[in-house]
Amino acid sequence: MRVVVAAPQVPFVRGGAEVMADDLVGALRARGHEAELVTVPFKWYPEARVLDQAFLWRLVDLTESDGRPIDRVIATKFPAYCVRHPNKVAWVLHQFRQAYDYDRTDLGQYDESPFDRATRQAVARLDAVALGEARRVFATSRNVADRLQRFNGIEAELLPHPPQALDYRTAEPEGFVFSVGRLDRAKRLDLLIEAARREPSLRVVVAGAGPDEQRLRSLANGNVEFVGRVDETQLADLYARCSAVFYAPVDEDFGMVPYEAFLAEKPVLTTTDAGGPLEVVHDRQTGLVVAPDASELARGAAYLAAHVDEAKAWGRAGRALAERVTWDACVDALLG
Amino acid sequence: MRVAYYSPLPPSRSGIADYSALLLPALRERVEVVVAEPGKRAPAADVALYHVGNDPDAHGWIVDALDERPGVVVLHEYVLHHLIAGMTIGRGNGRGYLDAMERELGVAGRLLGLGVLDNLLPLLWETQPERFPLSGLVLDRASGLIVHSHYVGERARRAGYGGRIWQIPHPAWPMHDVTPAGDVNGEPLIGCFGFLNMNKRIPELLRAFAAFRRDRPGARLLLAGAAGERFDVTRRLERLGLTEGVERLDYVPEERMWSLMAACDVLVNLRYPTMGETSGSVIRGLSLGKPLVVSDVGWFSELPDDVALKVPVDEVEVEVLQAALEVATDHGAALGAFARTYVEREHALPRVAAAYVDALETAAGGDAVDDAVLWRIAEAAAEVGIDDVQALAQAARASGIVS
Repeated sequence: MRVVVAAPQVPFVRGGAEVMADDLVGALRARGHEAELVTVPFKWYPEARVLDQAFLWRLVDLTESDGRPIDRVIATKFPAYCVRHPNKVAWVLHQFRQAYDYDRTDLGQYDESPFDRATRQAVARLDAVALGEARRVFATSRNVADRLQRFNGIEAELLPHPPQALDYRTAEPEGFVFSVGRLDRAKRLDLLIEAARREPSLRVVVAGAGPDEQRLRSLANGNVEFVGRVDETQLADLYARCSAVFYAPVDEDFGMVPYEAFLAEKPVLTTTDAGGPLEVVHDRQTGLVVAPDASELARGAAYLAAHVDEAKAWGRAGRALAERVTWDACVDALLG
Repeated sequence: MRVAYYSPLPPSRSGIADYSALLLPALRERVEVVVAEPGKRAPAADVALYHVGNDPDAHGWIVDALDERPGVVVLHEYVLHHLIAGMTIGRGNGRGYLDAMERELGVAGRLLGLGVLDNLLPLLWETQPERFPLSGLVLDRASGLIVHSHYVGERARRAGYGGRIWQIPHPAWPMHDVTPAGDVNGEPLIGCFGFLNMNKRIPELLRAFAAFRRDRPGARLLLAGAAGERFDVTRRLERLGLTEGVERLDYVPEERMWSLMAACDVLVNLRYPTMGETSGSVIRGLSLGKPLVVSDVGWFSELPDDVALKVPVDEVEVEVLQAALEVATDHGAALGAFARTYVEREHALPRVAAAYVDALETAAGGDAVDDAVLWRIAEAAAEVGIDDVQALAQAARASGIVS
C-alpha cells in the first residue's frame, strides 16, 4: 500500500510525537509498504490562528501523488487529522488540549471573552467533522480515548504504540532518579526538583531542553544535574544506570517514557493525577504512584533507593508489559 | 461570558417555566447567567437567550425583548400563531397581525387575516394554527436557534432560516425516589397527563380505552390535567359509558404528578396536530421507566422505536392505539427499561446544560471568529489573485473551518 503518515510539525521542536511518526513510517516500510511522512508547520496562537492552520490541512490534497493513488492516510494529531482523504485513519496521540481539558486551567489558552470561547467551540466542531470523516479512530491510550468520548462523543479504539527504538539494556542502579522530556510546565518537573530540595539523599538527572528550563534550573539545588539534550546512546545509557524514572505530567495523554523505562527494566515514579501513565504504571507492581506532592515524591524515591530488589522486580514486570506492544500489531490495526 | 436569560419561571404554570427551573441551576454551574424580568431593564450580557413558546401571556414580553435585541431563541414549539395573535390583536394592533400573516403567506395571508379581524372567518389560532405557524417574526430576530427536535429545525430551515441551529434534547429531571400514589389504582392503570383538549386526541384515547377495557375490566384510565374551555370530558365519558373506568383529576402540582405517574402502568401522550412541541410529561414518564404510547408525529416520532410505541394518526388510529395499550401493558418492564436507559443517556441534565453552553459560546463569539479566520484566508487568497470572498467563505464553511 501507499501510505501517508500525516503529522503536524512545530519548527525546532522534537518530542515523542515526532519520534512516533518517524517510527511509524519505518514500521510501515519494514512491512513492505511505501510510506511517507507529510507535515505542515503548526502554530496555534494568537487568537483564532489555530483555525487557519487547520484550514491548511483541509486544503492539502493527499488523494494521489505523482499520478498514483495514495491508499491510506494515517493522521496522528490535531490539526493533521483535519486532512481530507477517503481512507483516513486517525491515530490520535492527543487533540488540541487547550480547547478541552486544559481549558480554564493554567495550561489553557483561552479566556472568558466571547471570542476565545467561540474559538474553543470552533475547534471542537472541527474535531467532530474531521474525526467523523475517519474510517477508524484509534487512541494511543485509554486517557485519550476517554477524552474523545467525554468531549466529542467519539468512540476510539485503544491502540498504544511502542516507544522509540533504542539500545535498551539494564545495569546496576547508580542511585539517581532520571527524567527525560521537553522542559515545560506541563511535565511538572518542578515537583521532582522540590522533592530533591527536601530530601538531601535524592539525586536527580534531567535530560532535555525546553521553554521552562531556566526557571527549573533556578529552582534546583546541587542534587539535580541538567544534562541537556542527549543522543540515543546517552539516553539508553541513562535509562540503564538510573534507579527509577520520574514521569508525572498533568493528566498526560500517554507518553513514551514509561515504556522506555520498562524496556530498561526500571520502575516508574509517577503521581495519582498523571493520567495516561497510570494505565501501565501500577502502584507497587511496575512502579510507585504517589500524591502529586514533593514530600510524597521524596518519600517514594527514598523507598525505591532503599528497596533495590523490589524496584528491580517492578522494572522487570514493566518490561514484560512493554514487550507486548509491537509495531506489527499497530500496522495491522491501522491498515486493517 | 454572561448570558441574559429570558423565560417564564415558576410559579408560572407552564412547561417552559418547569423547563427553565430545571435547566437554570445546571447552566449557572457552567456560565454566568442573569435572569431577565418582565418590565425591567434588559440585563447587560454577551448573549441573550430567549425561551419562546406559544402563550402570549408567558412569552409576549420575551418576544418584545427579542425585538429590541436579537439573540439565541429556544424555539419550544414551531407554531406560534397563538402567541403572535395575542401580541398583535390582543394588544389592539390588528395591523400587526395582518403584517404577520402577509409575511407568512403574502397577499393571501393578509386577506385571511382581514377575514379574521372582521369576524368573517373563524379564529385561525384556534381552528388551524398548524397551517399558519407565524414563526417568521421570531425567526427574523433570532441570531441562532435552539430546538429540541429535528422536526422543528427542519421546519425552520424550510421557512428560510439561515442562521445556526443547535438541536439540544429536552433535559430529564434528575431521578429521586418517587413513592407511587396510593389513592389511584387499576389493573392496569393507564395515565394521561397534561392539558386536555382535542390536540391530545382524548376522544380517540377514550374510545380505544373503552375497547381495551372490555377484555380487562379492571383497567382504569387516569386523566390528570386541566381541560380546554370547549372540551367537556365528563359528557364524553358518560357517552362512552366510562364513568366507572376513568379517574379525572384537574391540574396537579409537580410532586403529586410524579407520584401519580409512578403509580401508572402505562403512560399515553398523544398529539395531533403537532405544533412541533416536545413534552415534559413524556420526559418524566421515560425517566420513571414507564412504557409509553405516543402519536407518530413531530418530535414524538423521533423517539427511538424501542422506548415508545408510536401510533400513526390515520383511519385506524383507535384500533392501533388499543393494540398499543395491550402491548405496553404486557411488555411494560422491557419497554420501561429501554426508556430509562435512553433518557439517562440522551437527556441527562449535565449533558444538556453543556450543549447549551457550547451553543451560547458559539453564538456570542462565533461570527467574530469566523470573520477573523476568513479575513486571513481572503488576504492570502487575494495575494495570489483570488478575490471572490463569497466563494472563499463557502469553501471554508464546506471544510468545517467556519460555521
